Amino acid sequence: MKIIACYNIKGGIGKTATAVNLAYLAANEGARTLVWDLDPQGAASFYFRIKPKVKKGGKGLLAGKMALDDVIKGTDYPNLDLVPADFSYRHLDLQLDDFKKSDTRIHKLLKPLKAEYDYIFLDSPPSISLMSENILKAADVIIVPTIPTTLSLRTLDQILNFCEKASIADSKIRAFFSMADYRKKLHKQIIENPPENVQLLKTCIPYASDVEQMGVHRQPVTVFAKNGKAGQAYQALWNEIRDNL
Amino acid sequence: MDSIRRIIYTVREEADIDTVFAAVCQEYPRHEAFDVQLERRYLDSFDWRLYRNNLVCGLDRRDRFGHSSRKAAKDHGGLFFVADKATGADICEFPVAQTPRFSKDIEHHACRKLLSSHLGIRALMTVASIAVKRRQLNILNQDNKTVAMLSVESYALKGDADKTIFPSRVIVSPVKGYRKTFRQVIQMINDQLRLPSVETTLLDEMLAAEKEGKVEIKIPAPGELTLSQPLKDTHTTGEAVRLLLRHFLHVMQANEPGLRDAIDTEFLHDYRVAVRRTRTLLSQIKQIFPAKPLDYFRHELFWLGQITGPTRDLDIYLLNFDGYRQELPKVMQKHLTPFHEFLERHWKSEHARLCRKLDSKRYQRLIKVWRDTLEEKNINPLHQTRQKKTAEQETVNVTLPARQVAGKSIWKLYRRALKEGEAITPQSLDADLHELRKTCKKLRYLIEFFQVFYPDKAIRNLLKQLKQLQDNLGDFQDLCIQTTQLNHFAEQMQQEGHEGYADTKTIMAMGVLVEKLYLRKTVVRAEFHRRFKTFAQPETSNAFSDLFNPQHQPEGISV
Repeated sequence: MKIIACYNIKGGIGKTATAVNLAYLAANEGARTLVWDLDPQGAASFYFRIKPKVKKGGKGLLAGKMALDDVIKGTDYPNLDLVPADFSYRHLDLQLDDFKKSDTRIHKLLKPLKAEYDYIFLDSPPSISLMSENILKAADVIIVPTIPTTLSLRTLDQILNFCEKASIADSKIRAFFSMADYRKKLHKQIIENPPENVQLLKTCIPYASDVEQMGVHRQPVTVFAKNGKAGQAYQALWNEIRDNL
Repeated sequence: MDSIRRIIYTVREEADIDTVFAAVCQEYPRHEAFDVQLERRYLDSFDWRLYRNNLVCGLDRRDRFGHSSRKAAKDHGGLFFVADKATGADICEFPVAQTPRFSKDIEHHACRKLLSSHLGIRALMTVASIAVKRRQLNILNQDNKTVAMLSVESYALKGDADKTIFPSRVIVSPVKGYRKTFRQVIQMINDQLRLPSVETTLLDEMLAAEKEGKVEIKIPAPGELTLSQPLKDTHTTGEAVRLLLRHFLHVMQANEPGLRDAIDTEFLHDYRVAVRRTRTLLSQIKQIFPAKPLDYFRHELFWLGQITGPTRDLDIYLLNFDGYRQELPKVMQKHLTPFHEFLERHWKSEHARLCRKLDSKRYQRLIKVWRDTLEEKNINPLHQTRQKKTAEQETVNVTLPARQVAGKSIWKLYRRALKEGEAITPQSLDADLHELRKTCKKLRYLIEFFQVFYPDKAIRNLLKQLKQLQDNLGDFQDLCIQTTQLNHFAEQMQQEGHEGYADTKTIMAMGVLVEKLYLRKTVVRAEFHRRFKTFAQPETSNAFSDLFNPQHQPEGISV
């Protein structure tokens, strides 16, 4: 089992779209795949048409009153399941603090699923907190979608610093350019001169209306527009990540 | 994981299908329904290794008018599945662009590992197929999310759409996390239709129909393709030899189409082993056939060994190729690619040559005469034109008990193996080890042919000892041939002069490979004496003597 976290401090940069599309592509190859929608906004759950509701909430999961396995929902796609979001996840930071070894609680919850899944994707909320630390420590690989702008690169540095302080190996981090708009001079310049202090994946996900359409179709873009620019880019991104796991 | 699994019912009357659909549609007004036409191909190796290991593997392909039922399979050639034969539970299921030929072609790691543990180097081939007409009903919730699936499958034999010999099946599949709807649908079917549930897979049903002659599926009977046959204590030598020879001929003929179509390398391998076993039996169990026809068969079977050799040799090089690559430093590995292309090109021409020989009158005649000879009640019909007295002398062992003749032959071969092995010194030629290898192989075959006459445990021990020696001799011989042949290939590649073939880097990489193999050959050669010493130890010798020494056998056997 490999745990892949989609993480960034910033919101609206394509974390959920990345987690949903990569998870779908993995499942489509036959890998038993789970997505845990950890963002209380519940966008991943929405894309899979699953109610963002978990019995006994996030606290029930953390406390072990509900096993993770008991709240898993099957999606409409073979081999692909989801742990839905819950609005109570907004308190997870505080709730985690009540437990011993509070920074590895999420990892502990995932352990019993080791034999059940080949890949677990964690769709993390945009924050930098104890919850983030849990996600980053649980992950074997941390995928960081990054818009090619100066501020986003600054955020990337902040993530690297945070990982260093939390003793999280930076070798787990793989950044890639997301929502890349080649018409913009700044985007083009940054893509052509990428940062060297982080492992950068070759694939760029372009800014594409297909990705926005995911909300209308409530499906991964790789289902309804597989051959579009975004669909092809996500396939290339998954191939690159999978081959380097 | 969810403990609930899909439930399958058989439909007694076609009217039931409409009733099921109408009832479920009425109960769940939010649903999507569509029809799909599929061709279901069951895949397995020639010898049904997956099925025999409790697995059912296959591919659902949309026919050109149909649509896939699963969203994930819509854009792909087919949905590949592996299920547990006993429970029918899916082990894995995923779309594939094309039917995988070998387990190594499957990208999914766990599935590849599972199938390769059973298939080894055997190919997957279509062992049965059936046309499936599926009516699918997905029950949706308020968010248009599928929460349970119901499908009805009707089956028809391929090319005979009107002939439905298997009852249709209603399949209710749960979606994880949505038990309630699933249970409601099950309840509805149980209450309103009282359909019987099915425990067997469709493939099992097809195999049952095959026994009744309703469908044609080629499933080899247990032991049909093994390279031995159970003999009885009461068998005369003539009867035992005829039984074994008939079986080897059957194995040859069963493997012939697969070797012609080059489905996998095991067809040719098993074919050659059957030929070799035939030749061993003819040469080692003497005085069964009159001399004249025996000479003809021995000569022609030797020819058969010769004409199948080059393709088999190239098969081995191609099978070993990844290993060869690994022998080289990483930077040199890619330089072997032209050699791979050379092997593949030569394999194609050698295989075509082999197929031409198998089409020849000479081969057809051999098989016909051989089959006729073995099918005759009299083991040696060709001797009828010869003088009766001579024929009788030449076939004196026919009526003797098989156990007596076999024991004496095995004892003789064992003595020969000991003599040849003891004569080998560090200075001996490679050819001397090769001779011993051939003797040991014959000895092993004879023991295996007649093992039922002897205590199982004792035979297993002897075969184990013999196999350890054979492994060493086999490795040595393979390395001898490979080191010589690789040099020959390198020269041939230069002579052929095709673009890229004579590349200096490739020739150098082959040189490094030869050196590595030569070193290994030296190690294997040094190991020989230890292995032979173990084989020739008094305990083993006494065991051989106890079982096969002719002093323990009745008199009157001519070997």
